[in-house]
Amino acid sequence: MTTIRRFCCDDLLRFTSVNLDHLTETFNMSFYMTYMARWPDYFHAAVSPGDRVMGYIMGKVEGQGESWHGHVTAVSVASEFRRQKLAKKLMNLLEEISDKMDKAYFVDLFVRASNMPAIRMYEKLGYVVYRRVLRYYSGEEDGLDMRKALSQDVEKKSIIPLKRPITPDELEYD
Amino acid sequence: MASKFGLAGGIPERRVRPIWDAVDSRQYKAALKLCTALLAKHPTSPYVLALKGLILERMGKPDEALSVCLNAKELLYSDNIFHFDDLTLSTLQIVFQRLERLDLATSCYEYACTKYPNNLELMMGLFNCYVREYSYVRQQQTAIKMYKTVGEESGGEKLLPLAEALLKKHINSHSLHEPEALALYVSILEQQSKYGAALEVLSGDLGSLMGREEDKLRLQGRLLAQECNYTAASEIFQKILESCPDDWESFLHYLGCLLEHGMNLPKSRISETTLPLCVDAALALKTSLSEELVESRLASALSFVQTLQGNDTSDCVRGPHLANIEIERQRRLNGNPTDRKFIEALVNYFHRFGHLSCAASDVERYLHMLSSDEITELLDTISRSFDASSLSVKVLGFTITTYKVQELLGIFFSKSTTELQSIAKGMVDTFYKNLPLSRDLDPQESMHGEELLCMASSILVQLFWRTRNLGYLIEAIMVLEFGLTVRKYVTLEVKNILLESASHHILPQMLSSPLLQQTADLVIEFVQFKERLQHSMQYLSVRSDSIILSLKQKAESLEEMESILENVNYGVRLVELSKEDNMKHLTFNEDRQARPWWTPTASVNFLSEPFDEASTSACFRAKACEHKSTENNDPKIKETQRKSLLPRLVYLSMHGCASSLRETELNGSGLDTDAAEMKPLLEKYARSIGYSVDDALSVILGMSSGKKSIKDFAPDIVSWMSFAVFINAWNLWSNESVIPKADQSSPSSWQIVDSLVKICIEEQLIDANRILTSPGNNIPVLVQMITEPISWHLVVIQSCMRSMAPQGKKKKKGGPSERPNIPRLQAIQRSVQCMIDTLRSVQSWLSDQMRPEEQALDILLSYLQGASEDGPGHISCILEENSARHNPELGERVAQSLETWSSAGVVRRIVGAERELLVELKKICDSKLKLLGSLLVSLSSALH
Repeated sequence: MTTIRRFCCDDLLRFTSVNLDHLTETFNMSFYMTYMARWPDYFHAAVSPGDRVMGYIMGKVEGQGESWHGHVTAVSVASEFRRQKLAKKLMNLLEEISDKMDKAYFVDLFVRASNMPAIRMYEKLGYVVYRRVLRYYSGEEDGLDMRKALSQDVEKKSIIPLKRPITPDELEYD
Repeated sequence: MASKFGLAGGIPERRVRPIWDAVDSRQYKAALKLCTALLAKHPTSPYVLALKGLILERMGKPDEALSVCLNAKELLYSDNIFHFDDLTLSTLQIVFQRLERLDLATSCYEYACTKYPNNLELMMGLFNCYVREYSYVRQQQTAIKMYKTVGEESGGEKLLPLAEALLKKHINSHSLHEPEALALYVSILEQQSKYGAALEVLSGDLGSLMGREEDKLRLQGRLLAQECNYTAASEIFQKILESCPDDWESFLHYLGCLLEHGMNLPKSRISETTLPLCVDAALALKTSLSEELVESRLASALSFVQTLQGNDTSDCVRGPHLANIEIERQRRLNGNPTDRKFIEALVNYFHRFGHLSCAASDVERYLHMLSSDEITELLDTISRSFDASSLSVKVLGFTITTYKVQELLGIFFSKSTTELQSIAKGMVDTFYKNLPLSRDLDPQESMHGEELLCMASSILVQLFWRTRNLGYLIEAIMVLEFGLTVRKYVTLEVKNILLESASHHILPQMLSSPLLQQTADLVIEFVQFKERLQHSMQYLSVRSDSIILSLKQKAESLEEMESILENVNYGVRLVELSKEDNMKHLTFNEDRQARPWWTPTASVNFLSEPFDEASTSACFRAKACEHKSTENNDPKIKETQRKSLLPRLVYLSMHGCASSLRETELNGSGLDTDAAEMKPLLEKYARSIGYSVDDALSVILGMSSGKKSIKDFAPDIVSWMSFAVFINAWNLWSNESVIPKADQSSPSSWQIVDSLVKICIEEQLIDANRILTSPGNNIPVLVQMITEPISWHLVVIQSCMRSMAPQGKKKKKGGPSERPNIPRLQAIQRSVQCMIDTLRSVQSWLSDQMRPEEQALDILLSYLQGASEDGPGHISCILEENSARHNPELGERVAQSLETWSSAGVVRRIVGAERELLVELKKICDSKLKLLGSLLVSLSSALH
């Protein structure tokens, strides 16, 4: 029982309970606002009946040719609303938009290699580890680049795992 | 951000990137070093200069930043520049904006646009400059220019018909290809109430641009409802619910349309902080339908919702079940106030979803509608519905929900001390008993049942306020620490926007702590964070705080204080900001939902009120609700206003004293302007405490002579002391005496300050218990008294002395009798002596408070070893026992974490923190005493 709607500026003042969490990064304002302005379809908030922000997803679509893809920049749910598949709902929404509206080939995301709960969740949602990015997080922790192929990628080429890990310099996008 | 790193202003990306990385991770020193190195290679690159400016600004060097950027701007304007890209300009723009020089940024873009007339990127930059400056006409002109250049659509906010016409023209020639463009077009029509036209657009070819069918339907439903076509609208919303049964907003719209309520449209979202719905907002919505019709419509809604319920078997779709409760609520409103179906719907909801941690908050607004009998019934039914003795995540969830419901309803508030204690104990027990459920969880996840510890510690806090027994408070801390021992955690970062919405939890306390340096770092970061929040109350308040803090830190050096004041143009800007007009537009952005229920605001604490056994939870709830809905921000505004006057008052006091004394020597009277400015400021200052200047004067006279009790003015006592200090300063150079003199023996303004400071501080020292054992002690007030009024007074003294000091050797020849300043010097000498005595008494009190760590530890632990059945100590016992017991079911990780637990360790940390505070305060006193000592020496040499 959730209203999923576009994220708006005022939500930034109300998402404290979601963001006060050690695995959730709080970015600067222009970062959020850029996403809101450029990829409004990829930035959604889930709101409870009591009008609390339960969680949100933010992402974008980018790339060329067969690497045209949706990207999940952040997905986070307040602890009170966890364990009821809200993240899954939000992820499905972003996948649907990438697939149907933008005809992207895949959706990808980065996750800390140590964040096992998240990795397990993404795996359940059909994501596979495409490659490891060495010292992606502040030059310390490795990141995993996880992907899920969409309907455009009929042969599922985009998710064939890379054999060797890469360094952040080799990333195509930021 | 990849595009940002092309060939930037002719500089290869790999050179620039490390600089941006350093900036992004706030390693400004490193960034500056890299940038300087790059600048050596490209000394005339405007881009690298702009980067340097950006770094300098972030480092808090606005002047240097400005000059570097002006240099960059000059280079851009010179003809031999090869690269003229948006990156350089946008970097410059960032710096200029942060320096509050939007005009410079705009002129750069204007220049660029004339030089390269058809560059869309530059035009967009220029457009944005005009947006930032609120130049609507220029925005429009630029937008039209852009439109002509590329033929793309653009927005013209206020000129809806023009926008509509432009879009129509565009559609006729090029049609629309972007969903956003369609949304914009529909919104332009909607804002002009052209609902029919908007609906037509949506159902035409263009409608297919909407990527998601539900989005299109929602929009259609909203337009239809606004058109008052309720039947069609409710059908549309019904369709949405069939595909998204969990969409709560659509359900409310569906019901609203059925009942022809107009519409509770979520049009513009609530701009300020929203508070939980206490007063039922929907009550205000009157339907024009007859009772029978409402009944039959509700019946049809119910059967629809029941179908939706039947379609879903998972536990994830709660919407239709909550909808059931809402429908029954509407029935109650429609003339069936005692209908049993409402509570039945609630009970059903809990049966099905009671194990989820959001179950209680889901139905919060409905719970408040129950009578006390119904509440009892509900709680009974829920607790009978599960077997509390079995161990499962689901059962644990149910247990937590029953506690949460009671907490939400304020039931704990009416319980006796003994009951509360056993409830808290039960919560902690349950947490430990259920820990084996978390054995396979990742240490980064929250453990099952953590909420129990939060609730238990809330209850312990409540017990503390009721009994004032420190033991409960120590246990509250222990319970929370225990939870953190089990779970792996890192310190949470409050940054960026969270500074605005979440720092109200800690900032006020930090500002009155003696740890001045840590606080300053936080505040500086806060000040830098300002985009878009220009009217924030927090922001204004912190702007003053940051200046006041730096003044406090440098209070021992007149020169440094002068330079701080000079940098903030002598406090003038803040005074302007605090004008009534500006104050009216302030926004309050704190996320108050995050506060515990017993402090709806920073200044309110329901728990500190005396416990009245007769009061029921319902009457408490009513009180809390009323308080929330009529919450008054007035005191906060007053305080902010007062703070923004302070730097200017300090400056005028310094400056006025200094020049007045010189002027008298020269026998001039050029001080009228300063005096004229001081007066209205003092009036405003007095008004912010709630008095006229005359009344305020008689208050400080009364307090300093002992005729008025300090306690009566306690909440604002620090402001009163500062007021006296400023009055004294003003009196020094005002032509007429500021203080009404009854006779010759009336005290001088110096004496008023002296005795007020002495009395106020003595009062704190007498009043203070052992601070270790009295939480919420008077240390913060004491710190404020010493670092604010006393500091300001010392500034006045120093300025006076500096201006009276003989200039050159010539003057020394004149005998003491010829100098007119002797009485004044004597007054100052007395004042200095008084400050010394007062601060020494603070110091001896502080030394008295400090005791060996082991001794302090024993004192605190003794609170937990009460022999009585009733007092605190039981919970810490449980924690200690549980952590010592080797329970194999806990799994290796949890068991290992528990081994590190020690109650005494927690208490030791509390003792350490207290001690650190005392040491810091002592240091502050030391440095003030040193200054006073040297003042005394020069005074006695001047007087002899």
